[in-house]
Amino acid sequence: MLETTDLRKVFKSTVAVDEVNLYLNKGESVGLLGPNGAGKSTTISMISSLSMPTSGDVKWNGESVVKNPNVIRNVLGVVPQEIAVYEELTALENLKFFGKIYGLKGETLDQKVEDALKIVGLEEKQKELVKNYSGGMKRRINIAVALLHEPEIIIMDEPTVGIDPQSRNYILEMVRQLNEEKGMTVLYTSHYMEEVERLCDRIYIMDHGKVIATGTQEELTSILSSEESILIELDRPYPNLVKALSGLEEVLQVVEHDKGIKLIVTKGSRLLGKVFQIAEQEDAQIAGINVQVPTLEDVFLHLTGRKLRD
Amino acid sequence: MKALFLLQWQRLRREPVLFFAMVLMTILFVAVVGGFGSISSIKVPTVIDDSVSESKKEFWLERLNETDGYSFEEMEELEAREKIAMGNKPFALLVMENNYQIWMLSESPELTMLEQVVRQVYMNENRLATVESVVDDDQFRSQVENRLSEPALSVTTEMVDNDNAAPTYNHQIQTLFGMTLFFSIYTIIFSLSKIAEEKRTGTMNRIILSPVKKWQVYFGHVSYSFVLGILQIILIVLLFKYLFNFDVGESTGALLVIIASFTFSVVAIGMLLLGFTKTQEQLNSVVPIVSVSMAMIGGAFWPIEAVSNQFILAASKVNPITYAMDALKGVSMYEQGLGELLEPIAIIVLIGVLCMGVGVNLIERRS
Ligand SMILES: Nc1ncnc2c1ncn2[C@@H]1O[C@H](COP(=O)(O)OP(=O)(O)OP(=O)(O)O)[C@@H](O)[C@H]1O
Ligand SMILES: [Mg+2]
Repeated sequence: MLETTDLRKVFKSTVAVDEVNLYLNKGESVGLLGPNGAGKSTTISMISSLSMPTSGDVKWNGESVVKNPNVIRNVLGVVPQEIAVYEELTALENLKFFGKIYGLKGETLDQKVEDALKIVGLEEKQKELVKNYSGGMKRRINIAVALLHEPEIIIMDEPTVGIDPQSRNYILEMVRQLNEEKGMTVLYTSHYMEEVERLCDRIYIMDHGKVIATGTQEELTSILSSEESILIELDRPYPNLVKALSGLEEVLQVVEHDKGIKLIVTKGSRLLGKVFQIAEQEDAQIAGINVQVPTLEDVFLHLTGRKLRD
Repeated sequence: MKALFLLQWQRLRREPVLFFAMVLMTILFVAVVGGFGSISSIKVPTVIDDSVSESKKEFWLERLNETDGYSFEEMEELEAREKIAMGNKPFALLVMENNYQIWMLSESPELTMLEQVVRQVYMNENRLATVESVVDDDQFRSQVENRLSEPALSVTTEMVDNDNAAPTYNHQIQTLFGMTLFFSIYTIIFSLSKIAEEKRTGTMNRIILSPVKKWQVYFGHVSYSFVLGILQIILIVLLFKYLFNFDVGESTGALLVIIASFTFSVVAIGMLLLGFTKTQEQLNSVVPIVSVSMAMIGGAFWPIEAVSNQFILAASKVNPITYAMDALKGVSMYEQGLGELLEPIAIIVLIGVLCMGVGVNLIERRS
């Protein structure tokens, strides 16, 4: 129902979005995963008709959004990355205003405002000024505004950035309900792979403006079917240990963490014995060791040689 | 569109500080520069030299106080010098038998006027005294006074293009309108900067995605700033008219038309600046520059008649403040009506229309 073809956006010298092809079916929940500057927000602003693509097209039910923005505007809810509400007003006043510009009035307006407040759980705080809200509450009113006119599709740009785990859980659960219980189509942008893993039926991974991988979570992690990762917890960094381990034939990649190191190794290489042996030689204290099945994080690492977040 | 207009008032209700600060600043500046109360005379500390006899002392003070605009108060020399040194008084007068001195710290227009007034008093007196000594008639002085109060011939001054009595320049009115217009520029353009703010915070994108049209968004903001600007100017003019008895003239309708057209032109200039600047911060930093230079060039701080620089005079011709000050003073000082003010008003509106056109175009091209 939503489709982009060879979508491209160039700002002066930077290519922000490069030939992106993606689609969303009705009722689907799709994730757009990528590190800072990958081009997620730029892609979203073109999909929602807020900026013109340099080339390529966005189609809603076969009609070009680029040629006629109104085909998507009426059915679209956008949760921007920044808090786009009037902070000197209350949540209620904000919702009433945004409801009115969508032509809602009277009892319908009151009803929809009430519904939106209920969904984001801000009924009790509706008469407080948004500027006095906590980070999590601001994120929630930011979402509520996008839900007011009951859109068919909602596009969320990193809706959980910079908030406490509790608020984050609340928002994730809310998005899941909107998608599963109300049948809303969701495009969810994030650089937290756990969120996308939890919420989304399908995932696009973006980097440097390009989609570098796509599929369900299983499909994506199966890219790494021939690999597994070993997490080694250490009491302090041991540069020599890293050097020694990367010398091993079965080790494909060594990544240093704050608490230790992670080895990407060929599946079934039974390296644990060797690891302990080398650790002993280098006088390294191993606090714990863990063999993991691959995550999306590993997929990203595999594809780009970098971590999602630094 | 109503919602967009009302929203801004709702926001103002929550954050009215800036608006009231501007109103307060205007009142403060008019009070300090213009002086409260109806025409007040400037008090001049007056020291009588020992050379002047006791009977002559009263005589001089009386003569001096017959003049308009100044009141001369007798004072000890030490006290008068201290007042000048401390900056409490700009000048003082020393009266001697046949001469006088003016003590001062710096030049000022009041000083020049004072010099003229005092010189006139001394000249008259010297002339009379000279004649008296020749004529040797006790009745001479009273005869001269009688003749002066019933002149055989009286002269009236009239302006060619004005039916009324000779124009009376009123410093208070000049200050009232000058400061009011000056500070209204801040209120108006700062209120327009909410457009830039909406772009920055992203609420503008939300509005664009709604069924509301782009021009309605601008119209909502522009009409809000327009009404707010008019409100501020009217509030201050009413305040000074009724509370402090400033004479703003009889023609309320004409005043309203001038105020409205001026406000429109400032809103338009605001839109032009909005089109030229990239961010709200940029806009906020050019507002003081623009408003101060507009006010200086347009004669809001001092009468434009006092300016002789050709460049400034030329610049004043494309400045709505020049025409607004002209028209406002026309109504209040020279009792002009709308009919006589059509030209300045038309020019103000024309400047507004031009700026608005260019401004909206620039803003649109940017987004
Ligand atoms: N208006 C703009 N002008 C110039 N460059 C831009 C503009 N907007 C984005 N870019 C550039 O395009 C690239 C992609 O930016 P974008 O905001 O889409 O990334 P993102 O994936 O949303 O990142 P983040 O996680 O930080 O939000 C970045 O390199 C950015 O600097
Ligand atoms: Mg982004």
